[in-house]
Amino acid sequence: MYDVWKNALAEIEQQISSANYSTWFQDTSLTSATNGQIVINVKNTFYVKQLRNRYYDIIKTALEHNDVKVDSITFEVKTTNKTKVRPREITATNAIKDHIRTIRQSTIKPPSTENGLNPKYTLETFIIGSNNDLAVSAAKSIIEAPGTRYNPFFLYGGPGLGKTHLVQAIGNELIKRDPSLKVFYTPISHFYSDFIEAIQNGKGKEFNRKFQKLDCLIIDDFQFIVNKEKSQEEFFNIFNDLYQLNKQIIVTSDRLPSQIKTVDERLATRLTMGGAFDIQLPKFEDKCAILRAKAEQIGAEIEQEAIEYIAENVTTNIRDLEGELSTILLMSEVRGLTPLELINNGSISVNKTTKLRPTSPKQVVEKVAKYYGLSVSELKSKSRVSNIMVARQVAMLLLSKELGLSTTKIATEVGVKDHTTVMHGIKKINNSLKLNFILRDQIEEIKEKIYG
Amino acid sequence: MKITVTQEKLNKALNNVSRIAISKSTLPILSNVLIRVDKKKVSLITTNLDMAVKDFLPVSKSDDGVITIPAKLLSEFISNLPKGENIDITTKDDKVTIKSGKYSSTINGVPADEFPDLPEVDEKSAVIYKIGVDEFKASLGQVIVACSNDLTRPALTGVYFNTNNNSLRVAATDGYRLAEKELIKKVESEVKAIVPSSSIQEVLHSINDDTEEVEISFNDDLVRFRLGEVEIISKLIDASFPDYQKLIPKNSDAEVTLKREELIRVTKLAALFARSVGGSIICEAIPEDTFSVKSIANEYGENDSRIETSVDKPGRVNLNSRFLLDALNALEEPEVIFKFSDRVAPIVLTNKKNKGYTHIIMPLNS
Repeated sequence: MYDVWKNALAEIEQQISSANYSTWFQDTSLTSATNGQIVINVKNTFYVKQLRNRYYDIIKTALEHNDVKVDSITFEVKTTNKTKVRPREITATNAIKDHIRTIRQSTIKPPSTENGLNPKYTLETFIIGSNNDLAVSAAKSIIEAPGTRYNPFFLYGGPGLGKTHLVQAIGNELIKRDPSLKVFYTPISHFYSDFIEAIQNGKGKEFNRKFQKLDCLIIDDFQFIVNKEKSQEEFFNIFNDLYQLNKQIIVTSDRLPSQIKTVDERLATRLTMGGAFDIQLPKFEDKCAILRAKAEQIGAEIEQEAIEYIAENVTTNIRDLEGELSTILLMSEVRGLTPLELINNGSISVNKTTKLRPTSPKQVVEKVAKYYGLSVSELKSKSRVSNIMVARQVAMLLLSKELGLSTTKIATEVGVKDHTTVMHGIKKINNSLKLNFILRDQIEEIKEKIYG
Repeated sequence: MKITVTQEKLNKALNNVSRIAISKSTLPILSNVLIRVDKKKVSLITTNLDMAVKDFLPVSKSDDGVITIPAKLLSEFISNLPKGENIDITTKDDKVTIKSGKYSSTINGVPADEFPDLPEVDEKSAVIYKIGVDEFKASLGQVIVACSNDLTRPALTGVYFNTNNNSLRVAATDGYRLAEKELIKKVESEVKAIVPSSSIQEVLHSINDDTEEVEISFNDDLVRFRLGEVEIISKLIDASFPDYQKLIPKNSDAEVTLKREELIRVTKLAALFARSVGGSIICEAIPEDTFSVKSIANEYGENDSRIETSVDKPGRVNLNSRFLLDALNALEEPEVIFKFSDRVAPIVLTNKKNKGYTHIIMPLNS
């Protein structure tokens, strides 16, 4: 019936001027046409008379051309429940709250399957941006031909950026394409506990066999392998066996294996043989896209400005991004205001940035000196002993990166002559950072000390 | 068609009708004013398809006819003609000639059959109220401040006319605050209708010194305001207004009587420091005799003002200073009552003597 009206409108459109058409016919709809009694919905009462007096014949003819019997046409003003806007009243409705709750619950308790995969993680729901496009295209080629090109597939990046989502999506997609494939997903911590349990029950061999049958092994959160040499050896064996059989191995971690202290060097180099792919923090546009998709998934409305506000103010990770969005949507429902209104009236302030606690330059210098076993005065001295120089440069880097101090200010803080020395120092340390993972680790540890 | 009229009368009528015609529209005819002479009765009409304004023009001489003319051009032309002179308007086909003493011009009109037919209030089924113009103007001005302009929530973009216990009330809310006023104490008929705030604005603009009474007629989906010679017809918003009576707190923990002017002054002072925190100010009642208004701006400093008044119970609430100022400006008596319960319940503001007007504001998160 609605198609009939569209056809009729198309005919009407050709007969009258476009200004008239868009003014009078834009928001009309045909609501019923039983026994030649035509009812047409219009925007408001101002449209009724005009359509009846001026366009009655045109409408009638157009409908009759579409084989609709027309005895009489009545025009009615639309009622609200037919408009597109979401009816929201000042009193909270529970629909959205429940919806968010169910979504949250499904996140907390994933319907885990035998293969450890959660079917809700799919490639379709993974938002591709400049921060992860490389990893995604590698993932796609794995789906096309597992165990060939990117094997092992090593994916690393900070928490909450979608590593788990991406690797589970690969697993789900593989099974979808070939249900006979044996895919197994496990966080490394479960791998241990299963392994230890198996050993205790004297089923070490069965454990090993179970893994050797797999076509694709997905290991999540590999960084937790720290200090468990025995199970690391077991993992290494399984890894080698699968690799020899050209089975796909997928590993995620928050950093490169060479940066994980306790990882055996043989394993570390093998893990990155197939290439290491990183997922970075999403850019502003990507964040907006993620928020919009998430809001759509929940079925809530949110203004573009509100999305931009959240995207701008959350710079930590995607998990925080989604957390903020749910909070705002929930609050919007409880208060009966739109998200943007909440932000504008100051009820909500989002501020998730990596700079957790502002700290003073003095503290930074102290912490750096302490970390390297120096006194502050030693660090600030003119000494050119190499470890003191490195400590001084690290302090410069942190002052510049974390506190955003000017180079001149940094010069006085660390006791060097002028800003050119600082610029040189930062440049030098940045260069060595590219190659020196130990230094990178050290800096991360110092940062933890400063902010922790 | 032929009209002879004084410059003042025509100018005034055009001012009344041309405001809504000067909006951009996809349909060019909507920026025209329709002039119709029907049995010596001259009317000027404009519409934007949400409302229509009609002004009956008293003229000394006229012949029947009808034409439409670009409203902006006509009104600017007429307003620049010398006062006190008679103006002759005559039409020949679509050409409109306007003559006043030495001044003469010809404007290209558009035939009236392109002008939309306007809906009319059905007098038989209409619910009609009459109210003194001062009362109307003051009351509507008091509630319209609380209207929302968020088009995604149509119900809140209008003023809600409703009858409750035989009294006619007007209310408006944007979700953060709500204003309600008793318009007529005792009425016979019932009504529940949301009038777009833009239409109310138009009505308020059209009120002039000559107006004495406002006649409001409601149909199912139409309302007409009649102010002397001017008639404003508007659509009604087809949505359901929140059951706002439930939102007004019936009881409160603390009640403070304050001098309005003084509270306005301290709120303005506090608002200066509240700019960076979204206008958030802290109102606190401290027994036995202090009401304090505070604001803190991290960069600029802070402000703390105190008003002496008698306070029984302590209480504290964060408010948006702009909303509080709007409410205080809408109240009229020298002394107002400020009632609040806890930090999440809305605060209630009323005049001390006449309780016909209620304004409530939702607190901000503290």
